[in-house]
Amino acid sequence: MKTPSLDGINLRVERGEFVFLVGPSGAGKSTLMKLLYREEIPTSGQLILDGKDVARLPARAVPYLRRSLGVIFQDFKLLPDRTVFENVAFALECTDVPRREIARRVPAALELVGLRHKSRSLAAELSGGEQQRVAVARAIVRNPVLVIADEPTGNLDPENTWAIMNLLNQINQMGATVVVATHAAEIVNSMKKRVVALERGRVVRDENRGTYGYES
Amino acid sequence: MSLRGWATALRDALHNTTRGSLMSLASMLSVAVTLLVLAVVALLALNLEHMAATAESQVEIKGYLCTARREEVKCSQRDLTEDEIEAILARIRSLPNVEQVTFLSRHEALEEMKRADPTQAALLAGYEGDENPLSDEVYVKVTDVEQVASVAEQIQAMSGVAKVDYGKEIVADLLAFTNAVRIGGLGLVLLLLFATVLTLSNTIRLSVYARRREVSIMKLVGATDWYIRRPFVLEGMLLGAVGAAVAGGTTAWGYVRLAPAMQQSMPFLPLVQPETILADLVLALLGLGALLGAVASYFSLRRFLKV
Repeated sequence: MKTPSLDGINLRVERGEFVFLVGPSGAGKSTLMKLLYREEIPTSGQLILDGKDVARLPARAVPYLRRSLGVIFQDFKLLPDRTVFENVAFALECTDVPRREIARRVPAALELVGLRHKSRSLAAELSGGEQQRVAVARAIVRNPVLVIADEPTGNLDPENTWAIMNLLNQINQMGATVVVATHAAEIVNSMKKRVVALERGRVVRDENRGTYGYES
Repeated sequence: MSLRGWATALRDALHNTTRGSLMSLASMLSVAVTLLVLAVVALLALNLEHMAATAESQVEIKGYLCTARREEVKCSQRDLTEDEIEAILARIRSLPNVEQVTFLSRHEALEEMKRADPTQAALLAGYEGDENPLSDEVYVKVTDVEQVASVAEQIQAMSGVAKVDYGKEIVADLLAFTNAVRIGGLGLVLLLLFATVLTLSNTIRLSVYARRREVSIMKLVGATDWYIRRPFVLEGMLLGAVGAAVAGGTTAWGYVRLAPAMQQSMPFLPLVQPETILADLVLALLGLGALLGAVASYFSLRRFLKV
């Protein structure tokens, strides 16, 4: 019998909260996030998001769940041969948002991440930090209730790490619930947010205004 | 599903087919080749079917009615009255699977012989009236050649019918041949359909593979499976239809030139005429190509759409 990657998790996140998820590699942080956007399905238990049990959502409802989320990854997941504008617009286009709506919302999202002037650049031409800001713009362009970031700064230098974390904080201030899995100890320590620590699939620590708590 | 959504999907599909233009050309050609073989086999099968049907339509039951001269036991050594003959014809017509019943009296038959060979007319004149040695005959065509034996048996059993003849051995051989032709043709066509689906789905799979990053991002931002599938299905249909157009055009071009030449050198062969078949064949190929393309795309995407 394999050991489950998550076991006995009991976690409650309030609307508008900002939560850091910390813990050693392989502790189950990514799995927890995948459960949220239904990349993985829990073998047992409930996962209530906005009143709905994500674990029991029928397959055809999954796209609509994902439209209410913004997901950010360590490797950005942009389309390198498309422009910045197209990458952000992509999230709206493939969910049949009207063109006029796209023309209004994409520049606003790019403005927020400070990349409006790069609209026409190809994603591949941008620096890592800029690419992640495009990914953030794509995540928030639909005003999601929950933004999930899985090690968003894992590939970035300290300066860009700060920029991205400030951006996520700003999005949180604007009303979105934000969950960030990270290894960026210094930032966790200085932002004084709620910190949930996972180890071997279990929650070992959950404190408000917490610290990273591991040797980085 | 909005109209604009379809337009976007079509644009994507066109973009995909023209982007890797060399690869698309190669796969379009391989689709065209399999469909070409399919079309040629279909034409061959249609012609064989036509020949089989022509041969089958010539199968006929010939029944000899009783006359005073016939020696069969059931004939009781007398001529049938006209009413009796009418009754027999009516009973034959009422049998199942009987398509056509023609009666030829022995007097008409004699007249025909005289007409056919005027030099013998004077000699044949001596057999007129009660001297006529021929029998009244009834010719019966059946709707289904498979049933010819059973129909012949039923006619044979009727009183007043001396004997029936329908070329038993020849019909059995003919049926064996036409059935083999039909089953073989169908089997070959099915096999080629399968090959076409494989070619198409391989091409689409390459196309999906080239865009797998895009597909995975689409899934993450909440695109429905059908939205993701749509451009690929259109691409498959386009590929299938273009391949079918090339195959159909080539086949039609070849048949229009080949059929008359073959007809001339083998006039006895009942060929399907190009003008009766080609328009339907090309249209069927186009529809088939598009349908197979859609089916192939649908199935090659399934694996990529699994969460």
